[in-house]
Amino acid sequence: SGVSSGCQQGGCLTCSDYNGCLSCKPRFFMHLERIGMKQIGVCMTSCPPGFYGTRSPERNTCTKCRSECDSCFNKNFCTRCRAGFYLHLGKCQENCPEGLVRSDTQRECVPRCPV
Amino acid sequence: IQDRQGPAALLCPSPCQCEEDGIFVMVDCSELGLSAVPTNLSPLTTYLDLSMNNISEIQPRAFHRLHLLSELRISGNQLRYISGHALQGLHNLKVLMLQNNQLERLPDDAPWDLPNLLSLRLDANLLSEVPAGAFRGVRSLRHLWLDDNSLTEIPVTALDSLPSLQAMTLALNQITHIPDYAFTNLSALVVLHLHNNQIQSMGARCFEGLYSLETLDLNYNDLQEFPVAIRTLSKLQELGFHNNNIKAIPERAFVGNPQLQTIHFYENPIQFVGKSAFQFLPKLHTLSLNGATQIQEFPDLKGTTSLEILTLTRAGLSALPVDLCEQLPRLRVLELSYNQIEDLPSFYHCSALQEIGLQHNQIRRIESSTFRQLTSLRALDLSWNMIEWIHLDAFASLHSLIKLDLTENRLISVPVAGLGGLTHLKLRGNTELYEAFSPDYFPRMRVIEMPYAYQCCVYGSCDSYKPVSQWDTEQSTDEDLHKRTVAMYPIHADTHYDPDLEEFQLEIEESKLQTSVQCTPTPGPFRPCDSLLGSW
Repeated sequence: SGVSSGCQQGGCLTCSDYNGCLSCKPRFFMHLERIGMKQIGVCMTSCPPGFYGTRSPERNTCTKCRSECDSCFNKNFCTRCRAGFYLHLGKCQENCPEGLVRSDTQRECVPRCPV
Repeated sequence: IQDRQGPAALLCPSPCQCEEDGIFVMVDCSELGLSAVPTNLSPLTTYLDLSMNNISEIQPRAFHRLHLLSELRISGNQLRYISGHALQGLHNLKVLMLQNNQLERLPDDAPWDLPNLLSLRLDANLLSEVPAGAFRGVRSLRHLWLDDNSLTEIPVTALDSLPSLQAMTLALNQITHIPDYAFTNLSALVVLHLHNNQIQSMGARCFEGLYSLETLDLNYNDLQEFPVAIRTLSKLQELGFHNNNIKAIPERAFVGNPQLQTIHFYENPIQFVGKSAFQFLPKLHTLSLNGATQIQEFPDLKGTTSLEILTLTRAGLSALPVDLCEQLPRLRVLELSYNQIEDLPSFYHCSALQEIGLQHNQIRRIESSTFRQLTSLRALDLSWNMIEWIHLDAFASLHSLIKLDLTENRLISVPVAGLGGLTHLKLRGNTELYEAFSPDYFPRMRVIEMPYAYQCCVYGSCDSYKPVSQWDTEQSTDEDLHKRTVAMYPIHADTHYDPDLEEFQLEIEESKLQTSVQCTPTPGPFRPCDSLLGSW
């Protein structure tokens, strides 16, 4: 979120009309969005869904989550799963550990409802 | 999110864009230059994006009707403070994004009351401390971002309120010390990022209570000692402390971490490594140690049976354990360059080995058993040793070998049995090696370096240098050159093909590239193929 295309973006430091943002202001995440054959640089306050952000003194980058995650904290810790997977302690699995059941609405492993 | 006509349009505050989600509404007011939260938001709003505007203050009760709001984004504004009252009514809020603002402090006495909040982003703000009571109203929190602020201490008391926390980053702050029991209530924490701080010291019990921790990132700090406090982290899988100032890894360093899969600790002035430091790590697959000059003995890797990549360069090793491969049956890459190794054991049981780097050691002999049965070995670097003798069958079973580097040794002959698959062979610097190896030995060769130029003549490298008499006609006209070219390649003569000469030469060059072997040193006027004196 916090993004629009081309050079008018608030987070852009340098940009070109053809490639969008070439560099971002401090503390913004640089993400390369693919539009057809082109790649457009976008500066954002948080990475798009399916990506996680890593901050470092030099630059802030967006990296793809694991395929089974819709969103994640880092490459090994998911925060929301794709349909058909269920979240437990940062892992997206097709089955839940002992004592937990699958909740399709939350896509999480949840305690069994008391009878 | 599109601007839609229909019920949503009635509830959509201008100039935002809205989208229906069943009976609910998703509202996008990002990047509109707003200076305040729109007032006429529908109670059916579940998603509200106010990011990248000019909002410097949230008016009291701005969200008090939004009981169904699940996600609120206010990142990229100019907020300095948000009182507890400002977020009243958000009973169902799960995600709150406040990153990239100018928050200097958090409410303490009347904290935010967000009982269902799961993710809280406070990264990229100006927080220098977190008050003790700041998180009392967000007890369900799972994911917390506090990176890129100005914290000088771990907010120990505030964190005590978060028993459900699973992932937290405190990276890019100015934290210098981690006290004992800093995270004692965070029994569900799985991920902890502390990279890019100024951490110099840690209490020996600072990680007590982190029973679920799997990832610990201490990279880019100023640690002087090995973090022995990790001993209590029995679930730890990924540990990073590269770019610190640690000089030694003690004996039994990871005795408390049997689940470790990766350890990154490069860019430390490590001189000493305890021989038992890396024992009993059955899931570790990569171990790299570079420049630890005080390592005189090969580490005892008993119980570290899944190791696939072992790099131990620029140390003081002079010998390798005879049972090295029994300990490391899954080894794929073995990189031991820049040591003082003299004798090699048999690598027979390392059947998965694909790459061996032994350059810059003091090896003298290669026995028939040294590399026997390494049928997956693709690259073998033995350059810059003192090898005088190689057994005839030393390479016989290396069916996958494509690269062999024997540069700068003392060889007088090289056994070719088993080397038929080579594409790269380097023999430069073996000044007593005079044999000109027939190309038939190496049908797939592409790059070969020989001690002497004449040894390249068998590879037709002399074609590029013809005696002067045939090609010196400076005066030849284009037509002459054309006739001679056509005469040499009659196939073009009958098709009245009148090729453009330049294109034609390109074709010739291309056909040459596919078959030729790049052999160096290339013979030349002063290193002709026809030996003037009968022998070199």
